[in-house]
Amino acid sequence: MNGEAARHLNGAVGMAVFIGACAMLFAALLFAYAVVRSQAPAWPPPGTPPFPRGAAAANGLLLIAAGFALRRARIRGPAWLAMGLGLAAVFLLMQASLWGRLVAGHLGPGTGALGDVFFALSAFHALHVLGGLVAISVLLRRRVPGETRLRRLRLATIYMDFVAVVWLIIYVAVCLV
Amino acid sequence: MRRIFSTDHKVIGKQFLFLGLAFLAVGGVMAMLIRWQLARPGQPVPIVGRLLFPGAGGVISPAAYTSLFTMHGTIMIFFAVTPILIGGFGNFCVPLLIGARDMAFPRLNMASFWVMAAATATLTASFFVPLGAAQAGWTAYATLSTAIGAPGPGQTMWTVAIYLNGVSTVMGAVNYITTVVRLRAPGMSWFRLPLTVWGFFLTSILNALFVPVIAAAMMLLFFDRVFGTQFFIAGTTMRAGGDPILYQHMFWLFGHPEVYILILPAWGIVSDLLSFFARKPAFGYRVTVWALIGVVILSCVVYGHHMFTTGMSPLLGESFMLLTMIISVPTSLLFLNWLGTLWRGALRMTTPMLFCVGLVFTFGIGGLTGLYLADIVADQYLHDTYFVVGHFHLIMAAALLMASFAATYFWFPKMFGRMMSERLGKLHFWPTFLALNVVFIGQLAIGWAGMQRRLYDPSAYDFLKHLLPWNVWISRAAYVLGLSQLVFVWNFFASLRRGKPAPANPWEVGTLEWTLPSPPPHHNFEEIPTVVRGPHELGHPDARARGKDWLGQDEVLS
Repeated sequence: MNGEAARHLNGAVGMAVFIGACAMLFAALLFAYAVVRSQAPAWPPPGTPPFPRGAAAANGLLLIAAGFALRRARIRGPAWLAMGLGLAAVFLLMQASLWGRLVAGHLGPGTGALGDVFFALSAFHALHVLGGLVAISVLLRRRVPGETRLRRLRLATIYMDFVAVVWLIIYVAVCLV
Repeated sequence: MRRIFSTDHKVIGKQFLFLGLAFLAVGGVMAMLIRWQLARPGQPVPIVGRLLFPGAGGVISPAAYTSLFTMHGTIMIFFAVTPILIGGFGNFCVPLLIGARDMAFPRLNMASFWVMAAATATLTASFFVPLGAAQAGWTAYATLSTAIGAPGPGQTMWTVAIYLNGVSTVMGAVNYITTVVRLRAPGMSWFRLPLTVWGFFLTSILNALFVPVIAAAMMLLFFDRVFGTQFFIAGTTMRAGGDPILYQHMFWLFGHPEVYILILPAWGIVSDLLSFFARKPAFGYRVTVWALIGVVILSCVVYGHHMFTTGMSPLLGESFMLLTMIISVPTSLLFLNWLGTLWRGALRMTTPMLFCVGLVFTFGIGGLTGLYLADIVADQYLHDTYFVVGHFHLIMAAALLMASFAATYFWFPKMFGRMMSERLGKLHFWPTFLALNVVFIGQLAIGWAGMQRRLYDPSAYDFLKHLLPWNVWISRAAYVLGLSQLVFVWNFFASLRRGKPAPANPWEVGTLEWTLPSPPPHHNFEEIPTVVRGPHELGHPDARARGKDWLGQDEVLS
């Protein structure tokens, strides 16, 4: 096996372990959510203002689109990489504006169980998207050989797909169920 | 700069080792202060008292005492034992023992150390903020640890420090797992791995799975404290809200695997070293490996035994009790294998061997007392007493210290190229071992007599007054324990400067790190070795023809 293929496998194993760890983290948060919810008299708790589901769903589409852009970047090069980076950045900005809206509408952290849960899950998720953003921007800046670049791009894509799936799960668990 | 921000696993391992040893000293001094207060409640601490507690004239105040036991536990578990065993010896040993040139991700490895350094800086800074360091116990149970119970910034910084510690640990776990899966030398099959490597590998799996759970708990606690969410504060009916017990679930879901995270490397190291110094193959190597794997699996489903007194459903409690008791099956196998290894061996009672045998003893008692606590009925009485303190110190303090010292004496020649003094090593072992057992077995006794943990002044209660002489004697033994560590400190630093230069293979064993010069060159192996046999080929008949009693893992017989 040549060096590049070996490194690719190393990266794949490392990424699998890392994603497993991240998945446990979000599983623990969802567990906390399940306990809080099971103890509430009704869900959402009485007196909670309606949740802006549409905005949360639209933001999720941005993340999925970022994943597709990164896939295109494998073939089409850095322009699509920048596109993926941009989409993920817009996702973070839209999340920030969503939090602003929620705080103004008495659904922010500290206002009630639903506000707490959504804020904790989405803030934590946003931090992980930020991590992916940093990884992609490093990829965009560094001048590295094509093969190495492709290997790192693959790993970044796996990670961004993971955060998109996590967002989907959070959305379904908090906004739909 | 290249030596400080190094990506070489050997340098990073040493950095972790020094960091951990420094915090071991800090946590140890805290233990001495706690013992002073328990033996002489309310009297000023001699020598250092006025320096440490100037406001109270050298007396440890109740708040300072609470901070002391909180930070003692936190430092020892997260910032002493974790860096020494997993960060230090894990980093140093794993690539060398499997025949690799470095970790799979050297830069991630470096980042892991510096995140740990940031965590320690945060924790250290928390001593100097208004209202002082965290005071909610090392478990930081809500609501004590929420803004209601702990309004100061110290507890917030504590959660951040533990979170960063967790990030560092997970980075390490990703690295160790990938390294062992991918970078084993040709011929190094899974069942030819030294048991030390098995220990670190399995520990890393538990780390990757369960450290994120406490990270989530820390993050939610942080949100509760900073953003006013109420995950761990019981809510009103209208608002709905959280549950302090939820914190305990999240904490122990991590906390129980954590016990095994810490002990697995120790088990692995001891299983190897007992074989090396008994000059015969490890008894039941495969059984040991499967027992370790069995413990790893069971450790995920027993955490509820920490919560028998929270009013959990009896059915759930009984399941946890049964599962906990089943853990004694693989651990007994492990123990029997150690005895089997020692049986009729040609024992070489070197310092590392003494510490290993010491571990077998303290782990035996510590493990057996665990069975009392696993029993729901006994636990109703023993919960939160010194019996628990004695039990977990026999394992988490005594056994882990023994393993850390054994590993230090054993790998010091390989790490620094010099031998440690055997005479001072034995002078270190005997008072340590004897005092340690007096302290922790004494704690078992006063716990059995009903003394609760975390009391500022137990003698203030009539029913505990008669235990004061016990506490005085436990404290005296603790001071002996503390002072005898100075022998180790002296031995360590003196040997570092003027120890006898170490040969490549001072202990005459066959694992791969001893085929290299001491200390090994930057990329370890000039040529990646080809492994042809297991790690414990001692007393081998083929070796006798060559005038020795062991065969190297990569030694080709012609």
